[in-house]
Amino acid sequence: MKKTALKEQKFESPREKDLLSHLVSTSLKYKLWIALLLLINFVGMYAYYRQVKYGLVVTAMRDYTSWGIYISNFVFFVAISLVGSLFSSILKLNKNEWSRPLIRISEIIAVAAIICASVIIIIDMGRPDRFFYVIKYLRIQSPIIWDVIIISTYLVISILLLYISVLPDIALCRDHLTDIPKWKKKLYRITAINWSNHPKQIEKLKKVSKILAIAVLPVAFAIHTVTSWLFATTWRPGWDSTNLGPYFVSGAFMAGAAVIIFAMYIIRKQLKLKAYITEIHFEKMGRLLVLLSLVYLYFNINEYLGPAFKMVGVEGEHITELFVGSYAPMYWFVQLGGLIFPIIFLLFRYMRKPLPLAIISMFVILGAWFKRFLIVIPSLQHPYLPIQNVDESYLHYNPTWEEWAITISSFASLLLIITILIKLFPVIPLKEAKIESETIVEHNILKNEES
Amino acid sequence: MKNHKIRHIKVFKTIFILIFIVFYTNNIYSQEVMEDAIVTLLFSNENDTKIIEAKVSDTDGIPIEEVELYFYVKRTFSLLPIGDGFNSTDENGLVELEFPNDLPGDTEGNVTIIVKIIENDLYNDLSIETIKKWGIPTEISDNTEKRSLWAAAANAPISLIISISGMILAIWFIILYIIFSLFKISEIKPSKYVKSIT
Amino acid sequence: MDDKNFNTDSRRKFLKKLSTGSLIAMSGLGLYSCKNSSDKKTTLLTQEGKLVQVSNSEIEEMEHHGVSPKEAREGIPGQKFVMVVDLAKCKNAKKCINACDKHHNLTPDRPYIKVLEMKDNKKSSPYWMPKKCFHCDNPPCVKVCPVGATYKRTDGIVLIDNERCIGCRFCMAACPYSARVFNWGTPPNESSNISYSPETSVPSKIGTVAKCDFCPDMLRKGKLPHCIPACPNGVIYFGNELDDTVTNGEETVRLSTILREKAGYRYMEELGTKPRVYYLPPVDRLFPFKKDTQENNEL
Repeated sequence: MKKTALKEQKFESPREKDLLSHLVSTSLKYKLWIALLLLINFVGMYAYYRQVKYGLVVTAMRDYTSWGIYISNFVFFVAISLVGSLFSSILKLNKNEWSRPLIRISEIIAVAAIICASVIIIIDMGRPDRFFYVIKYLRIQSPIIWDVIIISTYLVISILLLYISVLPDIALCRDHLTDIPKWKKKLYRITAINWSNHPKQIEKLKKVSKILAIAVLPVAFAIHTVTSWLFATTWRPGWDSTNLGPYFVSGAFMAGAAVIIFAMYIIRKQLKLKAYITEIHFEKMGRLLVLLSLVYLYFNINEYLGPAFKMVGVEGEHITELFVGSYAPMYWFVQLGGLIFPIIFLLFRYMRKPLPLAIISMFVILGAWFKRFLIVIPSLQHPYLPIQNVDESYLHYNPTWEEWAITISSFASLLLIITILIKLFPVIPLKEAKIESETIVEHNILKNEES
Repeated sequence: MKNHKIRHIKVFKTIFILIFIVFYTNNIYSQEVMEDAIVTLLFSNENDTKIIEAKVSDTDGIPIEEVELYFYVKRTFSLLPIGDGFNSTDENGLVELEFPNDLPGDTEGNVTIIVKIIENDLYNDLSIETIKKWGIPTEISDNTEKRSLWAAAANAPISLIISISGMILAIWFIILYIIFSLFKISEIKPSKYVKSIT
Repeated sequence: MDDKNFNTDSRRKFLKKLSTGSLIAMSGLGLYSCKNSSDKKTTLLTQEGKLVQVSNSEIEEMEHHGVSPKEAREGIPGQKFVMVVDLAKCKNAKKCINACDKHHNLTPDRPYIKVLEMKDNKKSSPYWMPKKCFHCDNPPCVKVCPVGATYKRTDGIVLIDNERCIGCRFCMAACPYSARVFNWGTPPNESSNISYSPETSVPSKIGTVAKCDFCPDMLRKGKLPHCIPACPNGVIYFGNELDDTVTNGEETVRLSTILREKAGYRYMEELGTKPRVYYLPPVDRLFPFKKDTQENNEL
């Protein structure tokens, strides 16, 4: 089926062929991948059904650890969604042309992450049937309402950013792709909104693109800062910190960069895009990751030095538990394996090659996820008033299978959305600006053809 | 001898029955046998000193000595005792106590003063309530109507409402402008001179 | 003749004994009825359709009368409730916890009242501190609720409307005193026929939060919350701040006097939440401190 499709579909250039062939043909691998993701999602849905039926008692959350991995997962998803703004705004406005091919991947990941973040926060609610009370009875004084507003705003902006980036290519797909099902043709036609490469359209799009690139930056900073205020507005050790906003935002950029690297590696391999996502891209991303990790390291030091120096009451107990207590193995894995060793390794050129970099990014992502766990749960176990006369289960938080199933299925949903978006739209811009990146690409196409 | 004994027993029984009847009726009608005390209260407020003077006399007007009076002010859930522990009438049947100057009353300053005789051996229980304007008027300040962070949704601080609304309006204006621009893009007809994308 | 006399004599004796006995019995009954002259009875209809007479002392009033959630947002006018806990008297008898659990249909693992063993520093003696919601005047929990399910009333009470709560648990994270509990599973009697009122917090609903509510249904009737009369040692005082009076059921004192003379303080005053519950320091204690053993649970 793969071969016949390619025969019927004529591509106008090698570049088109490379970037659009996966839109036309569906391989077995792809089908198996989708099947696996759907299976994980079904298990997750069954776990959620149990949660709706019996209540949140099926989780391990109890009166003291009242927030668990749903919330830490939510913070993680909001964190990696910031990567969209990193590429669409910071790097673009800074005229880092090497980053242009990666804009679309970053926006796809950003949109998928924000959608999954919203879903997981609804899963965490005790009464999801009353979700619309948030709109009907909202109190503007509540940080949760600020979070709801900013997440919905960022979702819309991210979708717009993705759309604006992909619009010329949709038109191209509409015009050039012939061997695709009818519904797909219709989809391309409608979403291409009569794009015809008219100079006026190009000019308008450029203008809109620039406005969005500037507008998304404060929103991106705001979204993670407001999420940090869900913690910073309370009196809990580890949360009651003025440093929490910048700490979260810098951690988000670092985690997002690692996610992009990992995604780059997988996409490059699976879609055979070695010519377009080159070693130079990995080199640059590796350096970017080191820079962002150094900034995050700086905020980490600030976050822990103050409380550790003073060891005030429950703050002291909390720090002790992180550094040498029951959470120490996780804490040092996160700090060393997820932050410090990556920085050291990535200073070496060899480590910035695709495969080593992807492995290191995997550790950074794991470290980032467990870091959010360490932000949310240990603080809840050290309230000001002592925990006494409670069941043993209140003192420890070991997530139940339902919680793990739902968490893993949220990742499966993330990957599912990303996969579908990559299947529908070309993941690298077909038309690129004639600057240094084109020469790199042309050089690599030649290299590809040779190999 | 038997008759003698029987007579003794008869007399004894009669006396017993008589005593018993007296005691029984006394029990049933005992309340009416105990005396009523009459308490008259005099309230004076001179030089910012509030004094309550109580005079206890019996039904004939003769002052009674050594009667304990209990003075209370009516509060929300209970009675607040005022004065010293023991307020016994002196030989003239009088007892005096000072009313505190700083006790809050209702919004107009009214307090309900209660004077009681409780479980006195000779006199029936008695309770007199008087309302006097001797309390400090309480002002009920309603904090829930003021704007604050913890108030209801309608009473959010103005600065918060303005800043958040401002930011939302600004960003959504930009979003709507962009959507409008996209709409405009869709309206531009393709030019005859431009080839489709290569 | 002697026989006849003997017979009549014994009959007379018997009759006399009978009359004396009955007089004594009547007097006994009379005395008894004097004391219990108010033994009223009420006629009730049983489930089988029979009419029975039940003495009034055996009828317990239905205590779950609460106002609707909408009306519960209005406070009781003219009152600002305040509580004072005398730590010098607390012995961890847990009677307050039992009374509260009973009247709010709570399971023992999630009580509204917790009696904590506190030890201020290494050298001081430990003491028992009953802790419940402080109904703060600057409540962090009310500030963060996204839907206004928890609110502060004019009479100082902070209530929860379980029909509006969305179960986000932000209020639980925000309360620095760990005063709130959550209905993780189905609470007991959730589907009973009693109509829900935030003032009674009964019947509680799954997936919503709950806490001490100062029993406003009792306050509306001029009665004290359930924990206060339940305490055998008179530890908890309750009253109206505008009255400047608090009572523990037996003793009524002026609030300003008791706070001044016994150096009343609020727990963690420096957090700025302005609690409405004051504590009197554990000095001149009524009972020496004993660890939480079975002994403490019996009087």
